[in-house]
Order: sequence, then structure tokens, then C-alpha cells
Amino acid sequence: MSAPALSVEGVSKAYPGVQALDEVSLVVRPREVVGLVGENGSGKSTLLKVTAGLVKQDAGVIRVHGKALPAGNFSAAARAGVAMVFQEQSLLLNVTVAENILLGCEGDCVRYGFYDWKRLAGKAREQLDKLGSTIAPDAIVGSLSFAQRQVVELAKALAIEDRIGGEPLILLDEPTSVLDAGEIDKVLVQIERLRGRASVVFVSHRLEEVLRVADRVYVMTNGRCVAERAAKDADPAELQHLMLGQQLTQQYQRETLASPPSGVARLSVRGLHCGDRCRGVSFELHAGEILGLAGVEGSGREVVCRAVYGAVAPTAGELVLEGKTVRLAGPADAVARGIGYVPAERRIEGIVPGMSVRQNMTLAHLQTVERGWMLDLRRELRLVSDWIGRLRVRTPSTESLIGQLSGGNQQKVVLAKWLIAEQPRVLVLDHPLRGLDIGAKAEIFARIRELARSGIGVLLVADTLEELIALSDTILVMRDGEVTARFAAHERTPQPIEILEHMM
Amino acid sequence: MAGPAFLSPRLRATLVGLAPVAVLIVLLLGIGLFVPSFLSSYSLGVLMGESSPILLLAIAQTPVIMLGGIDLSVAAVTSLASVLLAYLLPSLGVPGLLVVLVITTLIGAAQGYIHVVAQLPSFVVTLAGMGLWSGVALSLAHATVPVNQGYAIVGWLQGTTLGIPTGFLFGVAGALALWACLRWTRLGRYVRAIGFGEIAATLSGVRVGRVKILVFALSGFFAGLTAMVLVARTYSGDPSAASSLLLPSIAAVVVGGTAITGGFGGLERTLVGVMIITVLRVGIAIVGIDPGYEPLAYGVVVVGAVALTIDRSRLLVIK
Repeated sequence: MSAPALSVEGVSKAYPGVQALDEVSLVVRPREVVGLVGENGSGKSTLLKVTAGLVKQDAGVIRVHGKALPAGNFSAAARAGVAMVFQEQSLLLNVTVAENILLGCEGDCVRYGFYDWKRLAGKAREQLDKLGSTIAPDAIVGSLSFAQRQVVELAKALAIEDRIGGEPLILLDEPTSVLDAGEIDKVLVQIERLRGRASVVFVSHRLEEVLRVADRVYVMTNGRCVAERAAKDADPAELQHLMLGQQLTQQYQRETLASPPSGVARLSVRGLHCGDRCRGVSFELHAGEILGLAGVEGSGREVVCRAVYGAVAPTAGELVLEGKTVRLAGPADAVARGIGYVPAERRIEGIVPGMSVRQNMTLAHLQTVERGWMLDLRRELRLVSDWIGRLRVRTPSTESLIGQLSGGNQQKVVLAKWLIAEQPRVLVLDHPLRGLDIGAKAEIFARIRELARSGIGVLLVADTLEELIALSDTILVMRDGEVTARFAAHERTPQPIEILEHMM
Repeated sequence: MAGPAFLSPRLRATLVGLAPVAVLIVLLLGIGLFVPSFLSSYSLGVLMGESSPILLLAIAQTPVIMLGGIDLSVAAVTSLASVLLAYLLPSLGVPGLLVVLVITTLIGAAQGYIHVVAQLPSFVVTLAGMGLWSGVALSLAHATVPVNQGYAIVGWLQGTTLGIPTGFLFGVAGALALWACLRWTRLGRYVRAIGFGEIAATLSGVRVGRVKILVFALSGFFAGLTAMVLVARTYSGDPSAASSLLLPSIAAVVVGGTAITGGFGGLERTLVGVMIITVLRVGIAIVGIDPGYEPLAYGVVVVGAVALTIDRSRLLVIK
């Protein structure tokens, strides 16, 4: 038997506070399609990146066709035949299909510095033919549908075959997550066609897809490879159980409302539509309640958060804030009505890295430190110092640049931004624990609960189900833009597996 | 970022911040060494008078650059305002001056509005504005328009106060007022926040569009003030009065240490930058270097000063 197309041997990778990969080993045989499944943050993407040489592992070896790759060397991996198709497509939208497929390896298609368009189109055609695709090589990529682009992306990955004179290893990182049902089908058919020419590692959130195209499936949990199954006799329910692993629910103390929240809702969302990204979402959020939105990436939960904050304009439906229907023209409107937002992309959306802790903390509510037309800098300093103490922000001083603090302390400043003025009516937390180490997580976790108990309505999107279950009084599960289930914690604690069933 | 720094970040930032001042002192002393009379109070006074139009234009430019934008139309708006002043001062007097200032402010606001609402880069909008307002000025006056009457309304800027050219003091007063406004009002905080991180500012509820329009309006207002100084100096309005001042005024802002990418900087820096640019222009002639070399020295100092003052750790992308 020939050497495996890919063998991953004891690969580990740690990020501050997280063991992203923990001695992962797996094998992909020639012309085999292997599925990789796991929850968000289980290490699937990191594993693909290590294999493609985009991330350098701390320990372990990657072998492609029997040869060990130098760690963290993208071009060596590419020369060995590893091609990665990214979650966010890496095509240039403003040039033709042919140019994209042969980008960087035009070879004899360029003569005297000019394209030989015929030859270029011919070569691209060859790659597209391998997939049985009829996309024209001279079409501009931007004019294609998402599914067609994904095929171009696959053809580009296949082009590597001619260059290295061997079969490529193609890594697909959630190639279907941005597609609708019809398009997904087309892409899956293309992946099946790859089987005769390449070895494939296929990552997806959708279990049924993986089971359909893969020969074997590996399950990852918390950075470890916990199981391997042949796809044809795998039991979806068992895989789901494996994906959740021993969810460390004991890590967080659960402490939810004992009785159903009552009274007038702080915020009612009625039939909210945002194009296709969220469809007909309705819920009520009460004072003191934490409402968690569960769902995979692209399920629409982030869109709901943004719509509530006025950062995305809904196409239909209404928001009712304390009994009054409101139209939010933008985030400034939301802030004026007492809605706060902690965004997921902290470094770009949450903080202004070039400004100090003090200036970041008061940015959303400068009028509270204003006297007449002027800012009362002394009052600002007192207020900020006070909140630094209350939230135990570890910073050298109020004047330190916020970019120099650790992630957890930055996040505390972002939280404080919404607390320094009058208490917000509603606080939208989009992945508030993302990228924090365990200690910081526990602290932010406790703050969120305190905030809710003090009477704020909290809308929460969390990174993992365990966090969501531990914090939420009510959980809404979303899939493909729609709410598929609702769990009330005061009745009984939902099990991760039940939630997962409605997510996938 | 990593590794032991032999200077604390704060001290380093202070030193980098003072670099333009050092450049200015070196330039003054260097020229003074060749031509000692250059450092006399008389020639320094001339220098200040010379710098006042660039100073006011650079003040107009500074908050726009702090936002991360640019206003290429300031000089054209100034030229137009000088023509309008020459026409309106004789007939309307002081109200004429006010009318002109209102017009330039509205021009700035309109450009800001188009920039915000049409989502066009400020470079494009103000480039178009530069052409448009020059055209309007030229169609109103084909040549210089002498100010026959009412010159006194702006003429006081041409005198000296306590031995210092009044026009220069006027500019410094403007810089001070705007500096205070940026330091002690919400506007200033918002301008910096938008310059450093527009997305984060928007998501913090800052009304970014309004702030931008207001800043462009301020830019227009200061372009109007610049025209007052120019008319005072030349006793006339001129449709191309300020056209040669646009690039020096932008250079002054950047040389002073305000980041062209936005956020970092301020008017105190612009003041130093203006002095550097002016000393360079005047000094080269005084030292007796062939004026042909002036642009060369100018280019070297601009790149050198920016290389010294830019704080690369704050920037994500250099473009």
C-alpha cells in the first residue's frame, strides 16, 4: 500500500489560554474524502491551517505523501500539493475565471509580459473540465454565483496537480457555509468528482453533508481527535454526542431565574426579517433576563444582534422597546434609547486601539461628563477610575493605550463603556468571551450575570453551548435564519445535545 | 512590540512628539550660523508674517486630516473668498465680511455632506471642489480685484501688535481656539475616535456623519479667514491667490507630526509644522542656496520629518 496522502502525527498548537490542538493524529489515504466535524472552537480550522503551513504547530509532524513538511511554511506545503479552499473565498472578483485559476502560476501563458489569452483560457478550461463544469474561463468572477465561485475555487486547487505532477491534497474549510440549499448540492456534487483525482479533507458544520460525501469522518472536541468512523455506518446521533464530548458544564455555576420572567417586555422583536439572513424572528426580552441565541456560524444570530442595535436595517418586522415601537436609524439611535452593544470583533469594532482606556470608556456617553459645552476632564477621570476599580480592570493607568491591555481587560473596558452612564435598558453581547483566557472568561462571565440581575435585559451570543447554557435564562435556537427551538431554563436545564439537534 | 525596549513607550512617544520641534530648532540655528542676522527680531517678524496664510490654511486642514480625510479644496475656497471680499467689502462693509465667512463655511459643509451621504472619498469630493471653486472665482474675476473701500475691515491684520505681525497672531489665536475645542469638547474626542477607528466609533453610537460635516464646515470657515489675511497683504482679491499654498499647508500638517492616516496629531503640531515649512522656504533663499534647489530640500525635509514622527505601532496598514 502506498504512503497516505496526509498523515498528521501528534500535532499540538496552543494559543494564549487555549489548547487549540492537543496531540492530534489522523490519516487521509490517497483519493479519500475525509470529513472533519466538531463544534465551534474544536480546532478544525486550526488543523487545516497547520496542514497548509499557515500556522506553525508547537509539536508534531505533518507528512504529505510520506514526506514531512517543514512547519509553518506555506509555500513548501503548496509545492507538496496541499491546496486550501478558504471559508472566505480567496478569489479576485474583478478579473476573469482563467486568471484566477492560474493566478501565480501562469507559466507559458505569459509571453513578453503579456497574457496569451487563448492559452490561458485553454489551461483554465482543462481544470474546469476535470470538474465537468461549464463555467466560461473568460467570465468575470464577480458576476458568478457563490456556488460557481466555489467551483472556480476548486478548479484553482486542482490546478496544483499539473504543477507538481502528483495528486493534490485539497483542504476545504466549510465550503458550503455561505451557500443556500440548491447551491450546496452543486458544490457537493463537485466534491464527489474530486474523489477520482485528489485526496480531500472536508470541514463542515452540517453533519448530513459530511456523511454524504465523506468516506470516513473524524470528530474533534476541544482540540483533540476523539473518534473516527466510516461514514456509511456512522450514526448521526452518536457523532453529535461525540462532538459535545464531556461538556464541562461544571466549569460554570449555573444560576438562572427561578421563575419565568414577567411584566412588560423590555424588548419585543416581532417578525424580524433581514433579507435571507434572518427570517421571521420573534422573541421577548425582559428586565433581568439573559436570552441566549444558539446556532452555527451563518445561522442569523449575529444579524439579529446587529438589527437590535440598529447596525443592520431590517427589511421587515418591528422592534418594540418598553411598549413603544421604534425605528433605529443607526447605532447612535440605539445608544440614545439605552441599548448597548459589545461586538464580536473586539479589536476592530469594540475598541479604538489608538486611544486611552479613559477615552475608550467614555466614548459612547461623553455627554455624562460634559458641563455645558465643555468636557469636565476631572469628572471623567474620577468616573473612569471608579469603574476601573469596580470591574477590576488591570491597567497601568487611565491614560494607557487600550491596545496594550490584555483581551480580558479590554473587554472589561468595553463593558464599562455601556455602564458609566444611566444603566442601559438592553445590552447586546456578541461573543463577549471570545479570545479570552479562562480566568478572564470567568470574570466577564460573573459580570454579565451581575448586570442582568441588576435589571438589564441581556441578549447573548456565545462561543460555545456550555457558556450559553450556563448563562442563559432562555435559549432560542436558530438555523438558516429561522428560530427552530426555544428552551426556558426555569422549567429545566436544556441538554447541549437537544440544542445541537435544532442547530444542525 | 516584543522585546525589551530601552525607553518606556510613554517616553518614546514624547520624544517622537518633540522631534518636529527639534527639527525646527536645528533649522533655525543652522541658518543663523550662516546668516546671523536671520535670527534678528526683524527677520523673525517677517518670517511670521510670511507664514500666516499657510498657518491658517494648515489649521483648516488639520481636523480633516485627523479624521483620516483630506480637504484639497481649501486653497481654492480661499481664493474665491478673496475675490468675494474684494467685491463685497466696498459695498457692504463688515456685514460683507460675515457673508463671505458664511459662504465658505457652507461650501465646506456642502462638501462634507456629499462626502458623507454619497459615500465618496473626501479626496475625490474636494478634488472636484478645488476645480469647481477655482472656476467660480475665475469666472467672477479674470484678474486681481483691488479693494477700493473698506480695506480697513481686514487691513488691521497687516499691522503689528507688540512687535509681532497681527496676521500671525490672528492665526495663532485661531489655532488656539480650535485646539481648545478639540481638547475640551465632545467634537474633538469624536474626531480622534473616527480617525483611529471609524467602525468602533460608529458602533459606540458616535454620529460619524454629523461630525464629518461639521469638520468640513470648520475647514471652510478657516479658508475664509485665510482670505482675510491674503486680502490684507495684497490690498486685492485674486482668483488664484492661494493656489500655491495648498501643498505647503498639507505638508505643514504632516511635517508637524499629524498622521495622514488619521487620529494622531493636533494643532500644536501644525503650528510647529508651519514654522518648519516657512523657515525652509525663506531660509534657503537667505542662505544663498540656488532657489532651484528649494523644492529638493523641501522634499527631503518632508519625508525625513514624517519618517521621524510617524508612530508605526498605531497603524495597521500604510497606504
